[in-house]
Amino acid sequence: MQVEKFYYDNKTVKWFAYAVLVWGLVGMLVGLWIAVEMYYPPLSMGFAPTTFGRMRPVHTNAVIFAFVGNGIFMGVYYSLQRLCKARMFSDALSKIHFWGWQLIILAAALTLWTGHTTGKEYAELEWPIDIAITLVWVVFGINMFGTIIKRREAHIYVAIWFYIATWVTVAMLHIVNSMELPISFLKSYSMYAGVQDALVQWWYGHNAVAFFLTTPYLGLMYYFLPKAANRPVYSYRLSIIHFWALIFIYIWAGPHHLLYTALPDWAQSLGTVFSIMLIAPSWGGMLNGLFTLRGAWDKVREEPVLKFLVVAVTCYGMATFEGPLLSLKNVNAISHFTDWTIAHVHIGALGWNGFMTFGVLYFLIPKMWNTQLYSKKLAGTHFWLGTIGIVLYAIPLYWAGFTQAMMWKTFTPEGQLKFQFLETVTHILPMYVARSIGGAIYIVGVVIMTYNLIKTIGQGSFVSDEAAEAAPLPKVIVPHSNEHWHRWIERRPMQMLVLSLIAVAIGGAIEMIPTFLVKSNIPTISSVKPYTPLELHGRDIYIREGCYLCHSQMVRPFRDEVARYGEYSKAGEFIYDHPFQWGSKRTGPDLARLGGKYPDSWHYNHMMDPQSMSPGSIMPAYGWLYEDEINAFQTPKMIWAMRKLGVPYPEGYEDKCNKDMQKQATEIAERLKGDKLVVKPEKEIVALIAYLQRLGKDIKAAPKEQITGDAAIPGN
Amino acid sequence: MQKILKNSMITTGLLLCSTSSLWAADGPKPPSSLSNPFVEILAVVIVGLAIVIGFLAKLVIDAAFLRMDKEKKAGGSGIASTLLTIFFLLFSVNVFSQDMAASDSTAGAAKVTLASQLSGVSETAYYLLSTVVVLEVLIIAALLLMLKTFIASEKKALATAAVAENSIPTVHWWDKVNNFKPIHQEVDLDLGHDYDGIRELDNNLPPWWLYGFYCCVIFAVIYLWEYHVSKSAPLSKEEYEISVAKADAEKAAYLEKAANNVDENTVKLFKDPENLAAGKKNFETVCAACHTATGAGNVGPNLTDDYWLHGGSIKDVFKTIKYGWQEKGMKSWKDDFSPIQLAQLASYVKSLHGTNPTNPKAPQGVLFSDADSSAATKIDTTLKK
Repeated sequence: MQVEKFYYDNKTVKWFAYAVLVWGLVGMLVGLWIAVEMYYPPLSMGFAPTTFGRMRPVHTNAVIFAFVGNGIFMGVYYSLQRLCKARMFSDALSKIHFWGWQLIILAAALTLWTGHTTGKEYAELEWPIDIAITLVWVVFGINMFGTIIKRREAHIYVAIWFYIATWVTVAMLHIVNSMELPISFLKSYSMYAGVQDALVQWWYGHNAVAFFLTTPYLGLMYYFLPKAANRPVYSYRLSIIHFWALIFIYIWAGPHHLLYTALPDWAQSLGTVFSIMLIAPSWGGMLNGLFTLRGAWDKVREEPVLKFLVVAVTCYGMATFEGPLLSLKNVNAISHFTDWTIAHVHIGALGWNGFMTFGVLYFLIPKMWNTQLYSKKLAGTHFWLGTIGIVLYAIPLYWAGFTQAMMWKTFTPEGQLKFQFLETVTHILPMYVARSIGGAIYIVGVVIMTYNLIKTIGQGSFVSDEAAEAAPLPKVIVPHSNEHWHRWIERRPMQMLVLSLIAVAIGGAIEMIPTFLVKSNIPTISSVKPYTPLELHGRDIYIREGCYLCHSQMVRPFRDEVARYGEYSKAGEFIYDHPFQWGSKRTGPDLARLGGKYPDSWHYNHMMDPQSMSPGSIMPAYGWLYEDEINAFQTPKMIWAMRKLGVPYPEGYEDKCNKDMQKQATEIAERLKGDKLVVKPEKEIVALIAYLQRLGKDIKAAPKEQITGDAAIPGN
Repeated sequence: MQKILKNSMITTGLLLCSTSSLWAADGPKPPSSLSNPFVEILAVVIVGLAIVIGFLAKLVIDAAFLRMDKEKKAGGSGIASTLLTIFFLLFSVNVFSQDMAASDSTAGAAKVTLASQLSGVSETAYYLLSTVVVLEVLIIAALLLMLKTFIASEKKALATAAVAENSIPTVHWWDKVNNFKPIHQEVDLDLGHDYDGIRELDNNLPPWWLYGFYCCVIFAVIYLWEYHVSKSAPLSKEEYEISVAKADAEKAAYLEKAANNVDENTVKLFKDPENLAAGKKNFETVCAACHTATGAGNVGPNLTDDYWLHGGSIKDVFKTIKYGWQEKGMKSWKDDFSPIQLAQLASYVKSLHGTNPTNPKAPQGVLFSDADSSAATKIDTTLKK
């Protein structure tokens, strides 16, 4: 057969590699910054964009979507061409994909810093950016499937199965979770409310980990590990089983982020059991990677690429074993809302994603520049600094999380809580210091790598278009007589796409549809009323400043939480919460029952200077709330949007809402005046106080049977 | 090898059953000390480590007998001492498991006496459990060390044997566990796939992985059955009610014996420095936020003057701290402080009277004097909310 000559596009890979290095450093430095803020609050400098609440989404978005995202594209653009024996489908699409993604990242950073957020973790970006992401993702999809379709290889390799599953699942997650109603260019409200919003959000959040941080990187592992070790993949059968089991089971596990919350028990249990069943499929990937190195372990000692890949795969194994354990209710009761979770995700982020990315970079760059790595010794130094950094990062946080949870739960024999919340925070501050040192060491390693790679690039010459040749695909592929049944679908990428979509759609559908349609899942409480216009503004400020990143609004049914915060949270309380604000971490105390606990003047002083009201607190000051004014122009649009989403404001309330708002604001300003605190009712702090004083108030007026009676509803 | 696998499967199965029956027992009755999550985690760790020890011990014994056979042939000696050590180790495992039982019963006893506790686990139980874990880890280390020695000598022997007679090599336990085929047979496993130079082998699934997967699925079925079909395990709300009932009972039992059972009717003013110092400490941590450290008042009223919003007698002050005045921003502190601590706080507040701090808040409420507790002149209260 005639052999065709063609060229691999290395240029796009190069650009993505540069983006990985730049955004990686930015994301990690922001992470270090907020890690220091945890024990040194003045670092927020009284400046809104540098407070923890705004920097934290910048950190997570930068690391997930900029660092790992570009890492995925770098690895996929490199490996896909070689596995398909074809150049990328379209150079123009590659270019649009690259620059589109970088613009999205830039827009994300700017909007998050300026406080434009949807308030949903890992999906904070506002609607115009969501649309841009969808478009760029479609461009990526066309480019990827175009390449697969014009391939010169009869079958698609396991790495590509993972790429396909990633593409289709991320598309589904992003679209479903980003359903929102815009009210202005950079402001929208989630279509879902309360329990339903929480379920959709954590179905998304958990599977962002699964299909953005895991499956594409497993694909990269399946290409770069055997290539670097020059060993055959250990077991083809294991690839098949763990691939299908992984994508099918992963999607169900989201509710394990909501154990003991107001989510119906049956959904929580599904989250737990599917997480446990996930251990084996996850470990299948680790084993297939590690066993591939059989007979090549001597190379691991020598070759920096393999060192990084081995630790990455090991960290993947640890994180995917720990994750299911954290999904058991009795463990989750301790770990949730503490730093344990933060330690857990950083084993994955620093170990699995970070080290895998570094390994791929050390592999690609010498290859594409047709040279050797500048210094293996420096790569070795990076490896050890990185490893020590991870250990020093994680252990103090595990310790901190466990200690704090135990302190929260400790009662005196007389039946009183033994520790004030603040005591449990100040107690673990030394751990936060140690953690930031670990993180800093890790970053030093990354700087050394960057230097090493720049030197490598300097000594080589870049091969922009790499020549290759292969025979074209015959019109009809004749199957082998005794081939494995799975080979059938490996010849059919489109069927693969459809089957993957079906596999990942089942879990979400089974969990979401009943939660949305069956009324008994969210029993109504008649005293729960919509927010007043002023409170609505206060809630927007709460979301803008990222309060939910340190404060939960979810009292779990535990003795200590009920004693500390009040009656545990009920599903019916959140029906007007677009978006829900349950939070996932308690750096500060829960706020679900805050209303009426302190006088207005306490909040006024506390937001101005938290340490004056809570000595030793690590909360930043919010000085600008006393200068900026509420945007009354937007109130009617907010009311309109909420009514559209099902909040029962009367028709025509848009015309009266600002008047009501002014009245309530003046009342609060008057009360503050009584405590010698003079503030204009138009200031943002007044709205925030109104919202904080509303939290948890409705349920106190509810008839008793509505609060306790929901346990009797069958099937609940 | 097959036998070991079967055994370990049965053990895992039994383990699953026993945990599920534990839940079942937890259902209607209040949970035992075993339901403490910390104890549970430790217990699981202990059992897990014990399984590892059993597994390793079997390997070491096998290896030891193998070597003894060989050395007998070669006429060597010295293996007897090694065997002795192994038996000692195994024996000690039994001792530890008895320790474990003992520590469990200690935990039970501790529950009754309610000695000093670490998040619901008695200190003795905690330390005993941790000791068991540490000892188990040490045993594992020792066994691994032995195994390493055996393997090293085995390898040496193999190397010489291979040179000498080209005999069939013995299979490494690691290879057995994972069902590895020798690397030189790899050619037979090659599926002939080639993706950019990457080949694929047709190795078997690691058996422990596959059975582990099955176990997880069985666990899932049992879990769902227990919680949602047989309803023998408590759901979140039931779990909460059980824990509160248990805590209330414990608290009642404790207070019956304890001397600090004071309330607003029986509270007496403390004047001794010890109790006042304890009150001062708590005042400065929590009350100072609103009343300032000197009691001069800020968000909350001045506590040093002669005027009181809710009565100035020790009983009134105690009551105010205990139940709070929610609508005025004073929270209830009864869940944060014990009765004796509330009395200390109230006494300390009373001791602040007449201290004339700098920058005091204007008087609020009603003039009060301990000598004449009947309310007197009312002052302008426009400042209060």
